[in-house]
Amino acid sequence: MQPDVTAITSALRSAGLTSVEVEQTSLGVIVRAQNAELLQLLSALRDSSSEFTFMVDLFGVDTGELVEITYHLRSLSRDEDVYVRTSVEYDDGFPSVWEIYPAALMPEREVAEMFGLKLSGHPNPKRLLTTDGLEPMLLKRVEIRSAEEVRSR
Amino acid sequence: MTQDPNLTAPVGAAVSEGAYVPAQLPVGLRRVPSGVDEVTTEHLVVNFGPQHPSTHGVLRMIIEADGEEVVGAEMSIGYLHRGIEKLAEHRRYNALGTLMDRGDYTSGIHGELAAAMVTEKLLEIEVPEKAHWIRSLMGEVNRIASHLVWYGTFGLDAGAMGQFLYAVRDREDLLDILEAVSGSRMMFNYVRPGGVLADLPAGIDQKLRAFVDIFDVHIEEHDQLLGGNEIFQSRVHGVGVIDKQTAIGFGLTGANLRASGVGFDVRRDRPYAAYEKLDFTVPMATEGDCWARYAVRMEEMRQSVRMIRQCLDGMPEGDFTAKVPKVLRPPAGEAYAAVESPRGEWGVHLVSDGSDTPYRLRYRPPALYALQVVEAIMPGSLIADAIVTAGSVDLVLGEIDR
Repeated sequence: MQPDVTAITSALRSAGLTSVEVEQTSLGVIVRAQNAELLQLLSALRDSSSEFTFMVDLFGVDTGELVEITYHLRSLSRDEDVYVRTSVEYDDGFPSVWEIYPAALMPEREVAEMFGLKLSGHPNPKRLLTTDGLEPMLLKRVEIRSAEEVRSR
Repeated sequence: MTQDPNLTAPVGAAVSEGAYVPAQLPVGLRRVPSGVDEVTTEHLVVNFGPQHPSTHGVLRMIIEADGEEVVGAEMSIGYLHRGIEKLAEHRRYNALGTLMDRGDYTSGIHGELAAAMVTEKLLEIEVPEKAHWIRSLMGEVNRIASHLVWYGTFGLDAGAMGQFLYAVRDREDLLDILEAVSGSRMMFNYVRPGGVLADLPAGIDQKLRAFVDIFDVHIEEHDQLLGGNEIFQSRVHGVGVIDKQTAIGFGLTGANLRASGVGFDVRRDRPYAAYEKLDFTVPMATEGDCWARYAVRMEEMRQSVRMIRQCLDGMPEGDFTAKVPKVLRPPAGEAYAAVESPRGEWGVHLVSDGSDTPYRLRYRPPALYALQVVEAIMPGSLIADAIVTAGSVDLVLGEIDR
């Protein structure tokens, strides 16, 4: 289910977020946020009348120039989904949103380690899936090699 | 146990609760200074796993214990990490199912279905009616097989033994059926973009009907064997309570969410495959304890049996797959498709750049979110109860670690 773009825009405007862009795409409604206003934006969405209280997922995508982090939110009372998207430069940091959505605790750690980003404000910012010393794995510049390629090295 | 009408989730998940506000850091060890509290009992840090029969795979639970009581817990995962999301970037679209199978290895059909659905969404493929019905049918068969593993091992966590053997007996019949249909017992790779790999084999109808007829009796036997056991009941009632706000805040889905009083089921609320045409109820409980999760899952198996019968009766004639090219090249774009796997909402988020492999594939592991909530509610309980709680949310580590 898709929410109303104008309703979300006006809800965010009334929360003091004037520069936020809301767009309708083939994926759904995407709210583009600056890294600095992310926490304010997410709590505005959570506490708005649409009640986006549920975080479905959190993941990163390497676009080739920077890392885009997408927060997939859901309103259970209205059965609507909205995506919040923010961009982070390589090797840069992004804030933890666990105080707004505790569901983000582990996925955030995964995004930080898989894309080599720094995570701030997290209670346990260790690596989640891999051991220390491995280079980030989901970045586009990291190639995966077949067993034959590894053997011939 | 017959179904209580109050246990059925209302249509339209009306949830108007306040947001979850964490009282303190919900994760990590408390790290009491010098390991000593007021009554000078030493806190013991216990490592559960990664190789331990109660961890359902390779999960390492680091538990800080004050006597028998857990004061802090940390989940350490990644022992089964194979980089499925990265590997998917080097697979063609009709091979994505092989990776999804190896994610959640007890419910492969659901993972394959999500990957196929998201590809179809991008390519705008029209799936034939019969393929929809086969997908629903095999999904429910797989759901019972997966719930039986949970049922057997959950009892083991609570100290019971016999029910595991009975669960495996029934699961073996189901795996035979799945093997007859797909050619493999667990790594099916049966659901493909556009439909399914092959038509249902001759004689599978009688085999399935014979199974559901006997399973109608066996499910009550299972319920009596474990749920009717007084020791088991006292181990699970009021243990591991996840309230509504915690469940929503931590992103719990599936039977775990419904056991906490939120009636959201992807099959009913965002229908896919043939679920729109099937008549089933969505069981729900409000207590949020281990018993509620047990009751909801047992009822889900009964509903699955109902759906299997309906699928067999209503199976339409026609093609089992649409005409799709050998190499799929979806147009550049993004899509998200979700299915209700036995563990909750399994969603695949796919970014395509127009080539024959995905640019980025992310799948939402429902058990990862369940694991987080276990970590958060564990402090304050006894060690033995912590094990029961971890068993009750149905963790599959292959899916969590990816």
